[in-house]
Amino acid sequence: MTDFCKLVNMPENDKQGLSVVTCTAPVNIAVIKYWGKRDEDLILPINSSLSVTLHQDQLKTTTTVACSRNFQQDRIWLNGKEEDINNPRLQSCLQEIRRFSRKRRNTGDSTSDASSVSHKVHICSVNNFPTAAGLASSASGYACLVYTLSQLFGVESEQLSAVARQGSGSACRSLYGGFVQWKLGTQLDGKDSLAEQVESESYWPELRVLILVVSAEQKSVGSTSGMHTSVETSQLLKYRADVVVPSRMEEMIRVIRERDFPAFGELTMKDSNQFHAICLDTYPPIFYLNNMSHRIISLVHRYNQYYGETRVAYTFDAGPNAVIYTLQDHLPEFVQVVRHFFPPEVNGEEFVKGLTVCSADLSEELKRDINMEPTPKGIRYIISTKVKH
Amino acid sequence: MCFVELFIIDIQSGGKRDEDLILPINSSLSVTLHQDQLKTTTTVACSRNFQQDRIWLNGKEEDINNPRLQSCLQEIRRFSRKRRNTGDSTSDASSVSHKVHICSVNNFPTAAGLASSASGYACLVYTLSQLFGVESEQLSAVARQGSGSACRSLYGGFVQWKLGTQLDGKDSLAEQVESESYWPELRVLILVVSAEQKSVGSTSGMHTSVETSQLLKYRADVVVPSRMEEMIRVIRERDFPAFGELTMKDSNQFHAICLDTYPPIFYLNNMSHRIISLVHRYNQYYGETRVAYTFDAGPNAVIYTLQDHLPEFVQVVRHFFPPEVNGEEFVKGLTVCSADLSEELKRDINMEPTPKGIRYIISTKAGPGPCVVKDPNHHLLGADGLPKKSAISH
Repeated sequence: MTDFCKLVNMPENDKQGLSVVTCTAPVNIAVIKYWGKRDEDLILPINSSLSVTLHQDQLKTTTTVACSRNFQQDRIWLNGKEEDINNPRLQSCLQEIRRFSRKRRNTGDSTSDASSVSHKVHICSVNNFPTAAGLASSASGYACLVYTLSQLFGVESEQLSAVARQGSGSACRSLYGGFVQWKLGTQLDGKDSLAEQVESESYWPELRVLILVVSAEQKSVGSTSGMHTSVETSQLLKYRADVVVPSRMEEMIRVIRERDFPAFGELTMKDSNQFHAICLDTYPPIFYLNNMSHRIISLVHRYNQYYGETRVAYTFDAGPNAVIYTLQDHLPEFVQVVRHFFPPEVNGEEFVKGLTVCSADLSEELKRDINMEPTPKGIRYIISTKVKH
Repeated sequence: MCFVELFIIDIQSGGKRDEDLILPINSSLSVTLHQDQLKTTTTVACSRNFQQDRIWLNGKEEDINNPRLQSCLQEIRRFSRKRRNTGDSTSDASSVSHKVHICSVNNFPTAAGLASSASGYACLVYTLSQLFGVESEQLSAVARQGSGSACRSLYGGFVQWKLGTQLDGKDSLAEQVESESYWPELRVLILVVSAEQKSVGSTSGMHTSVETSQLLKYRADVVVPSRMEEMIRVIRERDFPAFGELTMKDSNQFHAICLDTYPPIFYLNNMSHRIISLVHRYNQYYGETRVAYTFDAGPNAVIYTLQDHLPEFVQVVRHFFPPEVNGEEFVKGLTVCSADLSEELKRDINMEPTPKGIRYIISTKAGPGPCVVKDPNHHLLGADGLPKKSAISH
């Protein structure tokens, strides 16, 4: 857990009573999707979910929290812009962390400055990936906020799951590296609806991740209202949550532990598709996948069919961008396939960002067999990354 | 020769429990459209001089050995012989052993993406039954074995295809819920979209769905039965808002199942999504469901509305999907009065127009079941038993 903070300033009491802490937190991509709450206030889900935490070198949120007796009020800046601190989710996180901190203090289990929890905080948070990438930054954002506050106020990490969850559900999964599950829980107070690590990031080092950033055309329905409407109107959702997901969670944990990529990939694709099926079964229906997303899906299926096995898998969240999972052996060729069928702008920005990808040649047979019309500039760029904390 | 009209489904059937008998996993319900706008016309000629069965579809000779065709021919002949043996026949005793020449055309283009196999098989079966003297009650099962939803095209108005429970499929039949004259205000528009990609065929698509979609069984066993009851009720009550909402929900759930299939099937494209969005915004503006969409295994939209709202909604479509200037006629079929759109409505809908997103519209309504065409000038086959030159579709 301490690896989250790449740069930690030990809380200092200088002349102004200013304490500062900076931490970073990762993005996570779900392979078994969370979509739907059983409790809107505590943010308790209707089904468990499982995600892969991505490497912070390519994608992360960085948050600095400063605390001082001289601050008049709590304030927050996100990506350079001051935001409303009275956002209920933010308030929830602040209140919860302060509550835990006071509880610790009262039990005498604290070494931090006794007065700091009543001081106001200034929070500044930035993402190193563009918002246009459509990656759910609220998960990494709230995870980072909660973690940084916990460092500042001296709150134990075991309690952070519930706090982060109340900021943004999937934020609790960003508190761990590697492969992480967020357990549904059974208690009404949500105390057992927590994230835990299934396997660490070093467990499956060959696993690689690509984010294909599509030229976004239309504004999507936000996740919070979208999943609320789904719970209210989709008759298929309850069946998914009660029957399908529990067995898929077991299977996903098993195939990760066995490092069985074909099974992992197939299950990931099926769950992504089922999530989007639920969106379509919502009234009014929600369309997150666009034509470009469909083409990417088609490309993956044709590529796998050519080799007669699942070498590459896609998953899509609440937006048109694709997250691709593959093994490092297949990475160069698949990136070349993407480049071929979604030729980027000539002299445009760097097409593959992040981790270096070796070049590869494509056989004519492969191109012929895939048999798709290239879609120039259909993908703006790719971020190449891997599993890490 | 018979006309048989097209139908558009309200409660979707997607999935078979028996691939040979074509028995569905859930019941379905449809609206039969008027033959003036959409129909299949089939001529069957029978002669002792014909060497073999032959079939021409839309001007082109096709393979008579197609298993579905063979199934229909064999079944009809079987029923005919049975009737003959029970002495209940007035037709020419020898005709059932004669070979037939079949010629069939649609008056709507294939590019319209309307499932012509349903109207086609219904027409074939009905025409053969007229020729061989087979009672209409038995035709459901025969048509069904040609193409599942064809059994619904054997009736006019509002038609259900009952799931049935028997393994031999004898109780998996179509029956009329209400006739076409029951709800005369109901109107139908078919929005023909500029088709970009080739879809997955229905037969293989639904097979893959049955094999791979975990949600489909739940839909078939739990969701559809209650929706069928509700749909029949709202039709009988002529409750358009309820009818419309249920129609849209079932269309969306069908496409959700297609997405839950592995590999996933996408029938709706960007244009379909825009049409869906337009309908929801239009209804939201008025605070009620005035217009409803349904989509089959393709991107074309079928819109239901009441005749009072028809002119304005057509104008809304024209405004947000402006057709080609000097292109083909944009609204075909039944005449639609013009209407003005308020600025407020246009502003509130708040969508970017998509020029040429819709190629054209067919305006129609509910219509009757198959009928015999008496005028011999309309026969598609000549006295030589071969297609007349005019029997070619557009």
